[in-house]
Amino acid sequence: MNDAALEDRALLERAQEGDIDAFEQLVERHRDRVYGLALRMTRSEADAAEIVQDTFLSAYQNLKSFRGEAAFGSWVHRIAANQALMRLRHQRVVEAATEELRGPEFTERGSLAEYPEVDWSRRADERVLDEELGRAIRQATDRLPEGYREVFLLKDVEGLSYEEIAEMMELSVPAVKSRLHRARLALREEIDAFYKEV
Amino acid sequence: MFTCKDSIHSLLEYVDGELSEEDVQKLREHLHGCTPCVDFLNTYRATPKLARRALVDQMPDEMADKLKAFLRSKCQAK
Repeated sequence: MNDAALEDRALLERAQEGDIDAFEQLVERHRDRVYGLALRMTRSEADAAEIVQDTFLSAYQNLKSFRGEAAFGSWVHRIAANQALMRLRHQRVVEAATEELRGPEFTERGSLAEYPEVDWSRRADERVLDEELGRAIRQATDRLPEGYREVFLLKDVEGLSYEEIAEMMELSVPAVKSRLHRARLALREEIDAFYKEV
Repeated sequence: MFTCKDSIHSLLEYVDGELSEEDVQKLREHLHGCTPCVDFLNTYRATPKLARRALVDQMPDEMADKLKAFLRSKCQAK
């Protein structure tokens, strides 16, 4: 367990004994990431603000029953993801989802029609992320169709398992994997296009 | 013949280490002679890493203040 997780554990124990100050510190430590997840899932600041409120209120109301097998952060992230998914289910409009997803194109013989001009993979490890690239990735993520965006965020950003996502989204594991693959391909295309332009 | 299309279709399972031994062999043979697919695999792998770094949001201060006030009112009312 790292230092941050140990500190969370100590704050959680105090919060479970009724120390509101300790709970507020936990909120402060996790609110940005919970907000980020909610914002990226719903693409709405107003919805994200309400999800963060509901998430931490629910966490507070269930503090006593939380046994701490998982980290506090993982627990509140799952609450927030469920809240966001519920909201999206209510708002869902039928989208021509798959048609909107970009991916690589192939020749009749199955070869790549367009080759990546630069291998930009090393940029992922650079110390500072280019601001324009960051913006392009955020916009590209927001453009992913519903159903694909959530799977990508929950798996590749939040690190949930395929099984957890399948259960939360009422999908089969193969369906989750298929959506993740298509979302990654679409985002990869967008990042590739960014590097071709610069 | 194992094509670029086959190779790209199998990337998720390959990255997850869930591709069958036979298919891993076919993919590796293809990658050995196909630089574009090697670059594609590298950039496919890098995509989630870049996204994780780009998707860091900070809650606006005003929203954070409202959240604090909201939780205080609810926690104290309990």
